[in-house]
Parts: sequence; C-alpha cells; structure tokens
Amino acid sequence: MTRLERTIGAVLRAGVIASSLALAIGLVLQFMNAPGAQALLHAGILTLLATPVARVVVSIVGYVRERDWTFATLTAVVLLELLASAVAALVFNKRL
Amino acid sequence: MPVVTPALAAIIFAAGAVSGGFGALLGIGGGVLLVPFLNLALHLPFTVAAAISLTTVIATSSSVSAARAGKQLINMRLGMLLEVATAAGSLFGGVTAQMLAQSTVQKVFGVVTALVAIIMLTRLQRRNVILDPDIDPGPLGGRYHEEESGGTVTYRVKRLPLALAASFVAGNMSSLLGIGGGFIKVPVLNAWCGIPVRAAAATSAFMIGVTATAGAVIYYGTGQLVPALAASAVLGVQLGSWGGMRFGQRASAMWLKLLMAAVLFVVSAVMFTRGIQ
Repeated sequence: MTRLERTIGAVLRAGVIASSLALAIGLVLQFMNAPGAQALLHAGILTLLATPVARVVVSIVGYVRERDWTFATLTAVVLLELLASAVAALVFNKRL
Repeated sequence: MPVVTPALAAIIFAAGAVSGGFGALLGIGGGVLLVPFLNLALHLPFTVAAAISLTTVIATSSSVSAARAGKQLINMRLGMLLEVATAAGSLFGGVTAQMLAQSTVQKVFGVVTALVAIIMLTRLQRRNVILDPDIDPGPLGGRYHEEESGGTVTYRVKRLPLALAASFVAGNMSSLLGIGGGFIKVPVLNAWCGIPVRAAAATSAFMIGVTATAGAVIYYGTGQLVPALAASAVLGVQLGSWGGMRFGQRASAMWLKLLMAAVLFVVSAVMFTRGIQ
C-alpha cells in the first residue's frame, strides 16, 4: 500500500465517523426537541460534504510530493470543479 | 418542505438500509433505489429526494473506499483521472436540475435506467479479463487478487476517451437524478474499456463521493437538502452497505449483473410511468 493510499483511507474513515456521529446525535436531539440539534445536523452534513473534498486535497499534496505533475494537475482541476459547484450554489441561493 | 417526524425518519432509515445493502453489493451507490422510493412512495419533491440520496452516495463511497483503500481493487489513478469528467458533468447536472420540471427528470430517470439494464444484459458473458499476470498493465491499468478464481487479474485500460465521455454523462446524471452514476460507468468501463467488473465497481464507488459532492453542494446551497432526513438516510445506508459488502465478497459477477439488470428494469418502468402521468 502506498503512503497516499493509506492517507486517503484515513481521511475517508475519519470523515465518515465524524459525520455519522454528528448526524446520529443531531437526529436524537432533534426528536427530544433539544437545543443545538439543527446546528449539529448541519455540521454533520457539512463534514460529509467536506470529506471527498479533503480526499482530493490530500491527493494533490501526495502527487506533488511524488513529483507526479500530471496527476497533481488533474486532481487540482477536480478541486476547482468542486469549488465551482459551491459558487453555483451561492448564485442560486442569492436568486431564491 | 416535508415535516420531519420520527416515523418519517424511521421509514427513511429503513429505506436507506435496504438501498445501501444493494448498492454495496452492486457497486451502484444505492441511489437508483432510494430516489424512486423517496419521490414516488413518500411523495417528496424530486429535488429533495435527489439531495437526500446524494448525501447517502457520498457516505457509501467514503466508507466503502476507506475499507478498500490499498487493497488494489480500486484503481485510484484511473479514478482520479475520470473524476475530472464526472465532477464537470455533476456541476452541469446540478445546475440543470434547478431548471427542469419534475416530470421531465422522472422520464430521464426511466429512460436512463432501462438503457443501462439492456447494456448490462447484452454484455453478460463478456469478461474482458487478461489472465496473464505478466502482462504490462500500462500507466492506467491495474492488478489485483481475485477471490473467486484465486488468481491475479491484470488489465489494461482501453478506449480512454469513451471512459471519459461515460464519466461525464454519469456525473451529469448523478446530480440531476440523485444517483451515484456507477450504474452508467461500470457497464461501460467493463464492456468497452477492458476493466474487470469488480475493479470497475470499486473504482466507480471511489469516484462517486466526489461526483455526488459536486451536486449535493448545489442542493445544500438552495436549501433543498433537509439535514434531518439526510441524516436518517445516511445512517440507514451505512448499516446496509456494511451488510452488503460482507455478502458481496461471495456473490458471483454474473449473478450481480443479472440482479442489477432486473432491478433497473423495474425502477425504469415505475419512474417513466409516473413521468408521463
């Protein structure tokens, strides 16, 4: 297993555990009408959405470290596409 | 927006567990089952159903790929290359989804699932596996140990432009329809690009996290992603995909394809009928 594969595995696992915990606790709090439920649910969703983004970021770092410029560029393009969808979300949000 | 009751959350949790189980088994992310259920049975607006499903696709992709990372079944280089196309397609589809009528999207869903089921059935016997372990896999190919034959499978990637085109379409359908898009990529990668079905499914499952994120971010920004419902579905899917992955190690490739085709035909017919009503 390469170092990059190990890092990617760790990032994905951490993201899944953190988001699942936040979502599970948030959901329980929501049905107890406890304060902070919505904030925790949103935090869980955002962690979930951030996990693949973090995986792309560590891939870029990994490929730069390996001096694999082709794949560093390709993964950087993927990151830009993810940022573009966040921009699109903001545009739609303003319009609604 | 739907009212979130404990009963609704429980139903969505159960639906997530079932679709997550099948998703992990078939390498399709489960959305192709979850979206029709949320939209047709629970009467959630299509965009709300798609947004919930996309979050489960991300969760499945992350947890399945975390477990498989470093086991060679995922072709990470090929995955990251094809992600350039899936993410672009997903961005485009997410924007399109905000502009189309629900009935139009339902018809697209029906047509797409039927087409893929037909492709799957016509290619049932094709394996495209190069069993000579000494062959050079090339810069994008791969090599992995196969459980059922006990041998090492080595493959080269053929027709890369086709793989990229299929990935763009898959990404587009992903955010528009709320699915992973694996059910478009896996048959194409397997049938025409020389990639064994297990490697194609694992690589697709790895990619759909990034693909679905590009779409889900747009739904989140527009307020169509209901966190409590997404939470129920995500937790259900986590449970289901854990079970599906354990079983998937033992299921044969041909039965996986047959089961997948049968499921897709049913989903297609139901969704298309609703779209023209």
